[in-house]
Amino acid sequence: MPSKSFVVETIKRNQIIEALSKGKRLDGRGLGELRKLEIKTHVIEKANGSAMVSLGNTQVLAGVKIDKGIPFPDTPNKGLLIVGAEVLPMAAAYLEAGPPDESAIELARVVDRGVRESEMIDVASLCIKEGKWVYSVFCDVNILNVDGNLFDATSYAVVSALLTAKMPKFVLENDVVKDTGERVPLPVHKIPISVTIANINNTLVLDPTEEEEAVMDARITLDTDDGGNLCAGQKGEPGSFTPEQIITAAEWSIARGREIRQKIKEAAGHG
Amino acid sequence: MTEEKRKLMDENGIRTDGRRWDELRPLKMEVGVVRNADGSALIEWGKNKIIAAVYGPKEMHPKHLELADRAFLKCRYHMAPFSVDERKNPAPSRREIEISKVIREALQPALFLEDYPRTAIQVYVEVLQSDGGSRVAGITASALALADAGINMRDLVVGCAVGKVDGKIVLDLNDTEDKEGSGDLPYAFMPNLNQVTLLQMDGLFTLDEFKQALDLAKVGGMKVYKLQREALLKRYFSGGGPETSTSTTEMMEEA
Amino acid sequence: MVEITRKQVIPGDVIVTGDYRPGMFVQRRGNDMVALRIGLAEIIRNDVKVIPLSGAYIPRTEDMVVGKVVNVTGYGWEADINSCFVGYLPGQFVFGRDFSPSTHDLTTRFTVGDLLLAKIEAFDRTRDPQLSIRGPGLGKIPQGEIVKITPMKVPRLIGRKGYMINMIAELTSCEIKVGQNGVIVVDGTPEGVQKAVRAIQLIEQEAHMADLTTKVQQLLGAPIGAPPTEAAGPENSGEQ
Repeated sequence: MPSKSFVVETIKRNQIIEALSKGKRLDGRGLGELRKLEIKTHVIEKANGSAMVSLGNTQVLAGVKIDKGIPFPDTPNKGLLIVGAEVLPMAAAYLEAGPPDESAIELARVVDRGVRESEMIDVASLCIKEGKWVYSVFCDVNILNVDGNLFDATSYAVVSALLTAKMPKFVLENDVVKDTGERVPLPVHKIPISVTIANINNTLVLDPTEEEEAVMDARITLDTDDGGNLCAGQKGEPGSFTPEQIITAAEWSIARGREIRQKIKEAAGHG
Repeated sequence: MTEEKRKLMDENGIRTDGRRWDELRPLKMEVGVVRNADGSALIEWGKNKIIAAVYGPKEMHPKHLELADRAFLKCRYHMAPFSVDERKNPAPSRREIEISKVIREALQPALFLEDYPRTAIQVYVEVLQSDGGSRVAGITASALALADAGINMRDLVVGCAVGKVDGKIVLDLNDTEDKEGSGDLPYAFMPNLNQVTLLQMDGLFTLDEFKQALDLAKVGGMKVYKLQREALLKRYFSGGGPETSTSTTEMMEEA
Repeated sequence: MVEITRKQVIPGDVIVTGDYRPGMFVQRRGNDMVALRIGLAEIIRNDVKVIPLSGAYIPRTEDMVVGKVVNVTGYGWEADINSCFVGYLPGQFVFGRDFSPSTHDLTTRFTVGDLLLAKIEAFDRTRDPQLSIRGPGLGKIPQGEIVKITPMKVPRLIGRKGYMINMIAELTSCEIKVGQNGVIVVDGTPEGVQKAVRAIQLIEQEAHMADLTTKVQQLLGAPIGAPPTEAAGPENSGEQ
């Protein structure tokens, strides 16, 4: 998330753009290449699920808490799935503690939609008693170190944490919700994978670092599902894309999405 | 907290997690875990998983609160929503605000704030998993982070809690003992100067028990301090020769 | 020949006890010499000091720094000098005494994102550091590879009378501008720059070890033990 106080040296900006004109990036990656992705699950044993993800130097930690809750009035028989994200002030020098700013809110909402609208979790099967009790699944993400592409890193952490979460099995006994003590996995329908592409001087690059984000004109995040369909999208930053660039971005997202999904499944032990 | 509902120690003096009265929980520390921070440390103490990160000295915000003759020390203790049994709302609670203050006041005596006028030194303590004694663990990690950041310090600060369980003074309460025991005493001090910088107390102690508790906290704290030292030396000198070396030289080597 | 005792220390450690003179980052407590930072304590004759291995750059007058312009105000440029204070270069210092915002557009000289090699002209406890670019080699840095190291390790990188940095520059045929604030810019051929950057990174990692000169020579393919080139410049020169 480029911040007003993060100024990139002009020399560096020129180096980035010059390298791009030759199809290269400063860290040696190809335009469509992802940084090193590391995923560790079950890191917070007290939580129902958790995942620590590092994408290059960007590091995030997601935790899942599952309990009983009251359904929304318009969806009396659907479980609750709420995804939140907080960029911790320790994650970068220019951040200060305080309520989330518009970038942080956008991050949380985009990741939330990516998981919810893709119907990753079958919330219809998370009902305990219609209109009264449902399962409520909270996934909270703490960003620990910022180096670009918080969208994808956060999304991979959320997906990995949900995939490996252990849900309590509740039953109704005389209208009272009881925890049977059994632990089961969440009902996962599909695995959405988020891929973010930046437009720097009309060249598309995948998984931008913080430096690249500081010189980018626009970014687009596209989520794909197991069937290679697009299921969520968000364009951001005050620049633009041509329609052709957006199609290219979609193609990259589908191709990289497949590889990343495989990696996440392996890390979750579902490989 | 003076009524105990069940026995927390068996006939042999073994506690709920298998420890004796003077044993610490498993403890691990690592320095330099948040790349962007000026200094940082991770501490795993029992099931506590806490990261402390320091930025500073840096420009003070808001500027009109800057101090002409020293640094403004800021501390934020915060618990992740997934760090406790029931999901916690991420907004700062009154408990977190109080703990932020006592941690700040526990660290301040060790710092030469007067060496950095008109600046701010910010300490972040983020509890990723909580298990009783998170504030003393946070203080212990914060001291490492401050040293890592290269802030002038009189000494490190080390924290260690003691408590009262089944009428006995014990070291390093776990979560259950914290909640169900009859006394809880978080304690932090500067190990070489032997100055107490944090003391809070809940419960009922006779004067004798209180003295016992302070002695035990000091003994436990010194063990933790040894680990702090090792963590710092490991980060800065691992693979780098003996701790002390003497050589004669032409003074060609640079300063 | 002189005896130097070196000791790894953390804040609060007693380095030595007795009749010594406390130097940098050392405090006397009774008869004890106590370290105030993590670093290498050095005892030379009666003097005890600590060479810290971490810590922010605190500006000092006469220091050479590499700064990044982050803001252009009506009267000057604000530069990030990798410190807790923002450096300020007054418009007057560049345009002369008849400078005025109505007649001079500051952005024609330097703008946001530009890198400058500047000198700390004035700094004290009551105000932000003032910069100047009056002097040989000072001013805008047009190109080069930017490397950042811990400011505390810059003296090691420069070496006594500049011998280390000169050696690196010679062996890699690069022009190297070193800021006391830990920001370094290396310019040369791609191969030369790569070698120089690796040498700088080696010094950053092993600043606390002996035999640093030998290791750097080995890295750069120079004959081991070749006498280091004596530099003609002042001890803490910001440039090679």
